[in-house]
Amino acid sequence: MSAVVTVTDLTKRYRTVTALDRVSFSLTENRIYGLLGRNGAGKTTLMQLLTAQNFATSGEISVFGQHPYENERVLSRISFIKESQTYPSGLRVMHVLRAAGLVYPGWDEEYAQRLADVFQLPRERHVTKLSRGMLSALGIVVGLASRAPLTFFDEPYLGLDAVSRQLFYDHLLADYTEHPRTIVLSTHLIDEVSDLIEYVLLIDRGRLLLDVDAEALRGQVVTVSGPVAGVDEFVRTGTELHRVLLGGTARATVRGDFGAAARDRARSLGLDLEASSLQDIVVRLTTSTNGHAAGAGSATANKEATR
Amino acid sequence: MEDGRPIFLQIAELLENSILDGTLAEEGQVPSTNELAAFHRINPATAAKGVNKLVDDGTLYKKRGIGMFVTPGARAKLRGRRRDEFARQYVRPLLTEARKLGIGPTELKNMIDTWEEDQ
Amino acid sequence: MNRALTVARLQFVAWRVVLGWPWGILALSFLINLALFTAMGENDDFEPTTGGLLSIYIVMFIASISAITQDFPFAIGLGLSRRSFYLGNVLQFAAQAVVYAAVLYLLAIVEEATDGWGVNLRFFGLPFLLVENPVLRFLGFAIPFLLLGFIGIAIALVFKRWRVNGLLTLGTVALGGIGGLAVLATWRGWWSAIGGWFVDQPNWALLVGWPALVTVVLAAVSYLVIRRATP
Repeated sequence: MSAVVTVTDLTKRYRTVTALDRVSFSLTENRIYGLLGRNGAGKTTLMQLLTAQNFATSGEISVFGQHPYENERVLSRISFIKESQTYPSGLRVMHVLRAAGLVYPGWDEEYAQRLADVFQLPRERHVTKLSRGMLSALGIVVGLASRAPLTFFDEPYLGLDAVSRQLFYDHLLADYTEHPRTIVLSTHLIDEVSDLIEYVLLIDRGRLLLDVDAEALRGQVVTVSGPVAGVDEFVRTGTELHRVLLGGTARATVRGDFGAAARDRARSLGLDLEASSLQDIVVRLTTSTNGHAAGAGSATANKEATR
Repeated sequence: MEDGRPIFLQIAELLENSILDGTLAEEGQVPSTNELAAFHRINPATAAKGVNKLVDDGTLYKKRGIGMFVTPGARAKLRGRRRDEFARQYVRPLLTEARKLGIGPTELKNMIDTWEEDQ
Repeated sequence: MNRALTVARLQFVAWRVVLGWPWGILALSFLINLALFTAMGENDDFEPTTGGLLSIYIVMFIASISAITQDFPFAIGLGLSRRSFYLGNVLQFAAQAVVYAAVLYLLAIVEEATDGWGVNLRFFGLPFLLVENPVLRFLGFAIPFLLLGFIGIAIALVFKRWRVNGLLTLGTVALGGIGGLAVLATWRGWWSAIGGWFVDQPNWALLVGWPALVTVVLAAVSYLVIRRATP
């Protein structure tokens, strides 16, 4: 298991905003990562820095052991599909596919054509005349058929209907199984991809909140409800992220190491226990109240704990 | 897959259920990790983790180069384990709830008998 | 270098567009002129000279701007380095300049041989481009392609990196600089000296030498700018 990407104290400041604030992590070869976070959290900036499309203010980046800037050896092994990608105005769909075929060493033309059929892309149509959904589909075809050892998908599904999105997930999974590679899926449709991703990177306001095995996270966050006294007692075994009160009843979202025993404990305290989905967890960790993340301090503390 | 619980545990359970109800016979071959991943639309590494859990506890065994198979005797072992879990998972909450409602053990037994007859 | 060649090839995936515009517009301009002077024709003393040739150079200029505004984000998005993209474009520009100049030269020779396409039309062999030396004459066709190409790239890059403010600053500085020099020249009575300098310059220097020098400087500065540009 070797690290494909290593990032240390990466910071990106624009004139007035800090888009990334001392972010450190590494990506292991042949895993599917979910890069999660709200809009404007810094996900796209992070990927732009990793692909040398933008410049860091400070910090270290290593991709395939080297800095990616102007580094042909590194760049030729990366595919970065972004929602905001623009195309020269004269190009038709077939031209874009041909261009991608020229550039990516691992390009599979036969697979690209098959995918273009699956997503019903009109080869003769000018790219500027494509609908938002078709434009996304074109990006998906390029991203999958490039078979790059490091592939970034930045919100690749805008304008795609549920059926096409499911097609994307199915083809991604099938092709990944056959041709393992490192894939970073940046998204806020967490529910849709939660079963696909092996690792979670959660960014909020430029800071890395979570860097954790998705399976370890599942079941780590629970919601208990019942009498306040019981909830208070239960919460002591973890970190409380959120709480609502209704008379003498409380509902609290708690993060901790909860196994089957916790279920029994909740029951004996007369509490209902509900495990949180990945989506719930992310929402709880990144919801802001008064400009502060719910339990921002404890979330950082937890990050250390999960390492 | 169901939310909020590690998927590999759910995969392991699904395979166990198939062994318990006979869908997967002893000495029979288990679907490959990739087949499981594609069918359930999950990450192959997660599917592998679920399968490996069953290999570790002896429910499945590996034939090198061929695949995973159900260990002879696995079904009986699983049933024993599930019976223990049954008490913890179902009987205990049943008693807790009954106590909350003032239903004594005798009354509870009668209720079970009545339901059994109705079915 | 391999990747630079890839970029050069990349420009031609839609080759019909790349070749169609410059030659299409030039052909159209030529045919219009031809038709016009055929209709007017008959007078042997009349040697019509037109600026229609300029159209193909203008198309090249526009193409060079869109190379930065449109092709650059696409190429970077495909994972090409800025260096490869730039070298690829230089290669492509140079190849186009050579081939286009050769074709124009050939057409100029045909024009002379056919007495201006039968109507004394001077479309390709413009008088100020007339020099005896064939190499210089060829360069006279080729260098303006490169000059306009790199002016386009430089302007587009200023926009790419510093947006509208950059263009405004550049425009202000250029205006202030040129205007200031003009005022200075008038005030100090330098104009006759300047005129004399131009007259003293040999034909080849005005046609090829100075434009080539400006092209090289623009190309070098553009390379430094694009290395820090973001798509």
